[in-house]
Amino acid sequence: MKKRQAGTWFLEVLTALLFVLSLLPFFIVLINSAKGPFEVTNAPLQLPERWGNIWRNVALIWTSDNIHYSQSFFSSLVITVSSLALLNFLSAQAAWVLVRTKTRTSGAIFLIFVAAMVIPFQIVMFPLLSWFRTITTFTGIPLLRSYAGILLAYIGFGMSQSIFLFHGFIKSIPLELEEAAIIDGCSRPEVFYRIVSPILKPIHATVLVLNGIWIWNDFLLPLLILGKGNAIQTIPLAVANFAGAFVKQWDLIMTAILMAMIPVVIFFLIAQKSIIKGMVAGSIK
Amino acid sequence: MKRKSDSNFVFWLFLAPVLFAFAMVIVVPFILGVYYSFTTWSSSARVGDGTRFVGLKNYVESLADPAFAYSFIITIGYTVINMAVINMAALALALLVTTKIKLRNLYRAGFFIPNLIGGLILGYVWQFIFNNAMPSLGTMLGFTSWADPSNLILASNIKAIGAIIAAGSWQYAGYIMVIYVAAIENVPQELHEAAQIDGATALRRLFVITIPLAAQAFTITLFLTLVQSFKQFDVNVSLTNGGPSTMFMGKPIFGTELLALNIYDTAFLSNNLAMGQARAVIFFLVLAMVALVQVSLNKKREIEL
Amino acid sequence: MKRFTIVFAVLMLAMVACAPKVTKITLMQNKPEIDGALKAYAADWSKTSKNEVTIKSVGGSTGADLGKQLKADYAAGDMPDIFVIAGPEDYKEWESIILDLSSEKWVSKTAVAFKTNGKTYGFPVAVEGWGMAYNADVLAKAGVDPAGLVNLDSYAKAFAKIDAMKAALGIKSVVSMAASIDMSWVTADHNFNSLLSNGLPYGDLSVTKDLASGKVDATRLAEYADWVELLFKYADRTVLTTGNYDAQVGAFASGKAAFLHQGNWTDPNMKAANATFKMAFAPHGSMKADTNGIFVAAPSFYVINSKSKNVAGAKKFLEDLVFTDAGNKYMVEGAGMIPAYSNVSLKPSGQLSASVQAWAASGKVYSWNQYNFSTDFRQKTLGPIYNQLATGKIDKAKFVALMATAFGSLKK
Repeated sequence: MKKRQAGTWFLEVLTALLFVLSLLPFFIVLINSAKGPFEVTNAPLQLPERWGNIWRNVALIWTSDNIHYSQSFFSSLVITVSSLALLNFLSAQAAWVLVRTKTRTSGAIFLIFVAAMVIPFQIVMFPLLSWFRTITTFTGIPLLRSYAGILLAYIGFGMSQSIFLFHGFIKSIPLELEEAAIIDGCSRPEVFYRIVSPILKPIHATVLVLNGIWIWNDFLLPLLILGKGNAIQTIPLAVANFAGAFVKQWDLIMTAILMAMIPVVIFFLIAQKSIIKGMVAGSIK
Repeated sequence: MKRKSDSNFVFWLFLAPVLFAFAMVIVVPFILGVYYSFTTWSSSARVGDGTRFVGLKNYVESLADPAFAYSFIITIGYTVINMAVINMAALALALLVTTKIKLRNLYRAGFFIPNLIGGLILGYVWQFIFNNAMPSLGTMLGFTSWADPSNLILASNIKAIGAIIAAGSWQYAGYIMVIYVAAIENVPQELHEAAQIDGATALRRLFVITIPLAAQAFTITLFLTLVQSFKQFDVNVSLTNGGPSTMFMGKPIFGTELLALNIYDTAFLSNNLAMGQARAVIFFLVLAMVALVQVSLNKKREIEL
Repeated sequence: MKRFTIVFAVLMLAMVACAPKVTKITLMQNKPEIDGALKAYAADWSKTSKNEVTIKSVGGSTGADLGKQLKADYAAGDMPDIFVIAGPEDYKEWESIILDLSSEKWVSKTAVAFKTNGKTYGFPVAVEGWGMAYNADVLAKAGVDPAGLVNLDSYAKAFAKIDAMKAALGIKSVVSMAASIDMSWVTADHNFNSLLSNGLPYGDLSVTKDLASGKVDATRLAEYADWVELLFKYADRTVLTTGNYDAQVGAFASGKAAFLHQGNWTDPNMKAANATFKMAFAPHGSMKADTNGIFVAAPSFYVINSKSKNVAGAKKFLEDLVFTDAGNKYMVEGAGMIPAYSNVSLKPSGQLSASVQAWAASGKVYSWNQYNFSTDFRQKTLGPIYNQLATGKIDKAKFVALMATAFGSLKK
């Protein structure tokens, strides 16, 4: 019994150490956000001379023309929330008809969607620009430098994996439920919205979390579609724009990074339980 | 008959939006992309620029370029090591947080948090850690070799690739850990109890029960880490931006330029969009092949288990 | 179908409504150090004129970072109205959309506009210069006379002398030099120009043209390699191999280095760092023979995108920089730049800018020829060669051989 306790004790310490190590970079960002320019490079690991500096730095970032923090935060929020809503809504219904329609077309479409998951973004990114530009010229609907384009792009790039996840989940739902509803006189869309949708809740959570983390932090796609320093820019774009425009002032870059991280971390801490649960539901079938 | 056509209508109705997005964002650009790779497509406004068909020229020149060959090699090396490191770290973390230790939920959250930070931002953080914090820590602890400029991590291309792996693993291991945790918690408790009665040690149970049963998660974790490693761009840009240099086939070139960055630089820095496109096509073919082999191997192994 | 139509109609409406308006002027430039001043001026200018100017700053060298962004934006059909080019190679890249500015009022007030085929295309942003910036206080303490720094030999002796007294002088290294891949613009742009123009009459392109066609003057290259080796040898290795602009300039500004391999654009950084010691420029010692001058030119130019929807506004913006008090004040006092226009009487207060003006006034100047080589060549071919030498992977002989091979590859 004693031996076992010693073993547990060792594991406790080991895990705690790893935990500290894993959060150390956050700590480094935090302490350096409260320093001045030379203090950062001369004493990167010491505690700041004056913690009060952090407010001065935060104020500088908040008012920076290159970051437009509140505006960028708003854009990031709009883009993430709308893409997620659309992705979930559209992928769920698409996956449902793909599962419930047992034709060759249906099977082929699903296979193509899954295969598309290995297409690297690099192969489509440049043509996407010229293609979006062509459409804008002909239809007048601005797809570049606009919310429309980036939402469409996120639906396109995110749907394969989302449909894949929904598909796997829906397969495990017994058909009897839906058959009973049809006998009761429900139309097919009604079956989906009234009967199936509520059952999909756990897998919705998975899709939200996976896509949410990706979309919120994405850099290259917004860089191409939204461009740097334009009216609509996401938080990662703003940080990159700032880092480029300020020749590496580490104290301010650290503050910008801190401010980019805070909203996500807070969100995670609030929704932690459902996030972890959601991820688990999707990964193991 | 009416029922049939009705359900057919709903089928296309529900699929229409995603098919539209798929066509707009993936299918058309993909076809255009393959087409452009055979042309002189360019990204600047030179006089006399037109898109002319040049056959396989971009492919032939890409394959003859030492920088591209080097990118390919380091990307493969990076992918293999990165997959191993992330999966081992994630599995180890998962095993730790599924033991009976206190605060295990807090630890799970702590290990997962780095995953919330985007690659671009964490690249800046780690650049600061490697360039400023580590030498300073070395001086504080008396490890003068850490502060020795000739040991700077980002000044050596091999170490710098290691740095990209470290930063990427720090970010991604917590995510993969969550998947392993789920798999481990799926292992029936009775199995452990039965083995314990038979006198199996904890270590033995780990290797005979937990890991083999957790292996059902390997298909997904290996696929995820494979794709994630192969496509690495953000951390590469903000952590090293391709530097420092190295010698390859007698030519000094960027020493940490992974494929995705090489493609981007070819298109915009070297001003050769069409060649960037050809490289992306080669990249796609390799990735598709590797993914196919990996998934089918895993499926086979799963069945055997 | 109805549900689908409604969802899409609402979506499209929302998107169109959210799209930004396009009645403004966008200026994209490459000088992070003047970002704040330029934005402040642009905001004021926008208030009084009927146009709204947006400034975008992309740091790094002209070709690499700004170039990448411009190409991505061009592909997206979102080219700025005013952007920056740095010479003939850049001009060729954008030739078909650069507007002819020959009939602008400011053309007669400057001698350094970007011209080609007898027409004026580029508005010179400022006169800039670099040599070896030195900390006069440190040099005086070390007993080194900056006036004697004119060739390889004198620099080698001065560096050795200062290096031996580092502790007494309170410095960490003799030279603050940067040679990481991100800082290739310092090595493969600026330092490279010593090879191209040092000691030659202003505007002489003979060496440049020879190299561009694969002809290498072995003696000149060998002496230049000695110079590069000397600079690297006496540089702080941490800054040299991994340092960024801030680290490089910071080491000099905080008095930790006697020399700095940068130009007068660092004046605002010196001010921000409260560097009060005396400083000025000395010539580069890239040759055995004496040279007597520093590299001065108007290296970058604003050009107007001929496809811009607001050409008139863009022209007015440039004109007002030259002909209004506010414009002059911004250029000289706000951004601390040396004006390229004869009618502007203000003088920048920075010590390094003053030094550039002093050299220019006495006509002791050499030209900037590096932009006659493409960005790709400078950044992807030459940059790694300097980096190899800096990280100690190759020796000087190999450096010379690789440089020669690189020029050889340019032979058509």
